[in-house]
Amino acid sequence: MSTVVSPSRVKTLDAPSVTLEPRRSFRRVSGTAWYHIAMVIAALVWLIPMFWMTSLALTDNEALTKNTTSLIPQDFTLDNFLGVFSVGLTSQWFLNSAIVTLGTTVLTVFLCAMAGYAFAKIDFRGKTIVYASVLAGLMIPKEAMFIPLFTMFADWEMHNTYGALILPRIAAPLGVFLMTQFFSKVPDEVEEAARLDGAGPWRVFFSIMLPLARPSMVALAIFTFVQTWNDYLWPLVSATKAEMFTITTGLASLQGNFAQATELGSLMARGLVGSLPLLIIFVLFQKHLIRGIAMTSGDK
Amino acid sequence: MATASARAVGGKKRVLSPSAKKARSRNLRYGIAFIAPFIVLYLIFVLYPVVQAVQMSFYDWDLLGSTKEFIGLGNYERMLWGVNIAWSMTHMFWVRLGLLVVAVLLLFTPVKSKSITAWRVTGVLALVALAFVLGFHPGENGFWNDPDFWVSLKNTLYFTLISTPIIAGLGLIMALALQGGRRGSRLYQMAFFLPYILPVSVVTLIWSYFLSPNQGLLARMLEPFGVDPISWLANPNTAMTAIIITTVWWTVGFNLVLFAAGLQDVDATLYEAASLDGAGRWRKFVSVTLPGIQHVLLLVMVMQVIASFQVFGQVNIMTGGGPGTKTKVLIQHIYQTGFRDFELGYASAISLFLFALMLVVSVIQMKYLGKDNTK
Repeated sequence: MSTVVSPSRVKTLDAPSVTLEPRRSFRRVSGTAWYHIAMVIAALVWLIPMFWMTSLALTDNEALTKNTTSLIPQDFTLDNFLGVFSVGLTSQWFLNSAIVTLGTTVLTVFLCAMAGYAFAKIDFRGKTIVYASVLAGLMIPKEAMFIPLFTMFADWEMHNTYGALILPRIAAPLGVFLMTQFFSKVPDEVEEAARLDGAGPWRVFFSIMLPLARPSMVALAIFTFVQTWNDYLWPLVSATKAEMFTITTGLASLQGNFAQATELGSLMARGLVGSLPLLIIFVLFQKHLIRGIAMTSGDK
Repeated sequence: MATASARAVGGKKRVLSPSAKKARSRNLRYGIAFIAPFIVLYLIFVLYPVVQAVQMSFYDWDLLGSTKEFIGLGNYERMLWGVNIAWSMTHMFWVRLGLLVVAVLLLFTPVKSKSITAWRVTGVLALVALAFVLGFHPGENGFWNDPDFWVSLKNTLYFTLISTPIIAGLGLIMALALQGGRRGSRLYQMAFFLPYILPVSVVTLIWSYFLSPNQGLLARMLEPFGVDPISWLANPNTAMTAIIITTVWWTVGFNLVLFAAGLQDVDATLYEAASLDGAGRWRKFVSVTLPGIQHVLLLVMVMQVIASFQVFGQVNIMTGGGPGTKTKVLIQHIYQTGFRDFELGYASAISLFLFALMLVVSVIQMKYLGKDNTK
């Protein structure tokens, strides 16, 4: 797998070589070059839809009524982006998403870390069975169980509140599983040393365990953030008032609206702004995000 | 996990000194304090809804009038049964024959070695039962009580069967192309992964217009090749394909990451050994790479199947299940039954059917992956 271009193809390049050494290095260089050319083309093709979206967002809506198939903005303008927060409810949706996502992420990571620490490090009766029942929760499809959740929040008259959007998403069995796995790898000696100094479980947890677990918590946090920001079904069911939409359900609601077809540019700009927090997270923390995903496979 | 339970069991046998007893009750107190916040939310918002769904599925539970009437298995009968349902040998003959062939193949090794596991018995029985059940169909003048249920089940399975191999295969190919940590491979991985972080409504926004026959870029790109613009989403024959293309673009990066992590774990010395034995690239792939990533491959397939059973957002936004019911999927049927027709009891019954379907897949996962993890 180390070279992409097969040796037989390289031979046909017919390098006018005198000695063996330059020829070999030439081969390797051209092999690498071909590899990169192929990969750059593949990556660019893969991202064409996104380039196109960006181009539309930067083009004047008027110009888009004539031509929408350019990858370079024809009638360059920033108006679409400026309009995102001044026209319509997009800013409200953005705010809703930010509150719900931050609330869910912070609470999920914190509660999962606490539970994970207890499952890994505190020996108490009934632990095994409780942990097993949490793992069983991994098999419950959160998408499929929205009908009973809906009735529950309707009984509490809590629909169209941030609480309704946050509460059902906090108890993530996967998060507990990951944190338990992490804490069980921390050697017991670390804790014992602190115990001898007279620190109780709370002190041990907050001043020793949480700092140790930071990488795992960051990975879990980023994973949760992306999941929550992108959550569609539950916000669609629970937040039915337009001013309580999240950015994900809000943008979806705009698409059914045919009037928007004449404002393609501003629609695309809204989409880009709605993805912006995720794009920023992606650029800053992609290593953690990718690690978080690899962790879900359970062997990292 | 295993050591913890062993310790707990060991502790029970010994006679406890007063100080040990005190430590135990202290541990119990702290243990409960630490898990309580999570467990309370978990019980209320994860476990209890399943119980409530079971309860609701026995009722004619109207959302608007808030009337509840106990109808026993009525909802299940409505979902799975119909009028004048007949059973015949020839209905869906080839599919059922295929299932039976698989069942026989599963029995092949046990018959040879004269021993069989409970899992295999369950698997064989399930296949035979499925082959039997598929023989039911509406007879003359007969019809299913809820044809939409069957259509959306069929569409969901179709979506799953087509998209899973494509997504897993493409993810693996991308991971293989990036294997070896060459300079720049991180950047390429980022590019392929990027769509995964977009919200579903942004993905549908891009693709609804990208595929549009009048405004879309794809029609324009295919023009030089003499392909006439296709109205992908409005055409019954292409709507599901469009959904699948969108989904592949959106989610393949996730699987790429899983595969890339899996490939890193393959023992490098095995590749060297294979090279020394003169193995070609294909040979190395088959006898070193594939066995090495077996675990990840299964994980990807299972996760993909479970995710595909729950497909909803793309469909709901891009086609709304249409044209007609061509792209209607199970979650959408549940959603519409609950919030358009206001029949929460019946919607719960369908939810539980979906849950059962996914449970089967999860059990397979637990069986194979669980075994691997304890190694």
